Amino acid sequence: MEDLTSLPHEVRGVESATDELSDDALLRQFADGDAVAARLLTDRLGPRSFSVALRMLGNRAEAEDVTQEAMMRLWQMAPNWVSGQAKVSTWLYRVTLNLCVDMQRKKKPDRLADVPEPEDNEPSVAERLQDAARKDALQAALSQLPERQRQAVVLRHIEELPNPEIAGIMGVSTEAVESLTARGKRALTAILAGRQDELGYDNG
Amino acid sequence: MTMAEDDMELDQLFAQARQNRPELPDDLAVRILTDAESVRLDRLAQAAQPPRPLWVRMLDGIGGWQGMSGLVAASAAGVWIGFSAPGFLPDPAAYIYAQDVTFVVADLGLDTTFLEDAE
Repeated sequence: MEDLTSLPHEVRGVESATDELSDDALLRQFADGDAVAARLLTDRLGPRSFSVALRMLGNRAEAEDVTQEAMMRLWQMAPNWVSGQAKVSTWLYRVTLNLCVDMQRKKKPDRLADVPEPEDNEPSVAERLQDAARKDALQAALSQLPERQRQAVVLRHIEELPNPEIAGIMGVSTEAVESLTARGKRALTAILAGRQDELGYDNG
Repeated sequence: MTMAEDDMELDQLFAQARQNRPELPDDLAVRILTDAESVRLDRLAQAAQPPRPLWVRMLDGIGGWQGMSGLVAASAAGVWIGFSAPGFLPDPAAYIYAQDVTFVVADLGLDTTFLEDAE
């Protein structure tokens, strides 16, 4: 039996004919028992799920768990996949985003309990942002956006997906996507310029 | 800093983020492929099981052997009651028949009255 758990460097070495197959066709091959298809799908789709999860959660370990679970659901639904109705990547993005939302809701109560009383020498929000800016200014700013705006901005400006596909992933109209990304960008600009007080946080 | 400069800064940050998209960590890829393999093997094992004959699946549908014996007992009781109903139960057949007779008699009575009036 083929060892599927070998390191993914070899995944990138799998070549030629199967490489050109669509995600759709690969998923069907996996459902029919083809192990190589799983490697190729992991290679193609795994990084996308992980990239989005990492931007949504800002936490590596959580993003890894979300991506593993999203891919697990992909493997499980493979036999029920109806070709041609949607893109496999669209489905995976949607599952990933939903899992991120679940993850954030689950950890909220713990977080509140863990938050220490504010102290006088606690750095201000602006100071903390400056500090974070050295590491990843964008991530720090993204984490302050309302959820839907963050989803739209990440899919549009980091994953570079077209608006109709984002609309399909988020289950809203293209106009709604345009509005969410525009508001998200405005908010990010304000956050990065240290003008958070100008933000009207409307979660839509 | 002007608004336009702020926008440029944001666009630069997006560009950086796109260039530095994270790779899939090796250990995560291994975890994902291990999951895929277990799902794949489960499915192959299920497919490898010989198809069960129709009568076995029908038997399962009514609850296996226990369900079957229950059905047999209930049918036998039904047949027995049909042959010899216990004395305390009314005989439904006779009851329906008696009602019919009453109805017909009453009808006839009305008809007769009507005929008498006509005359």
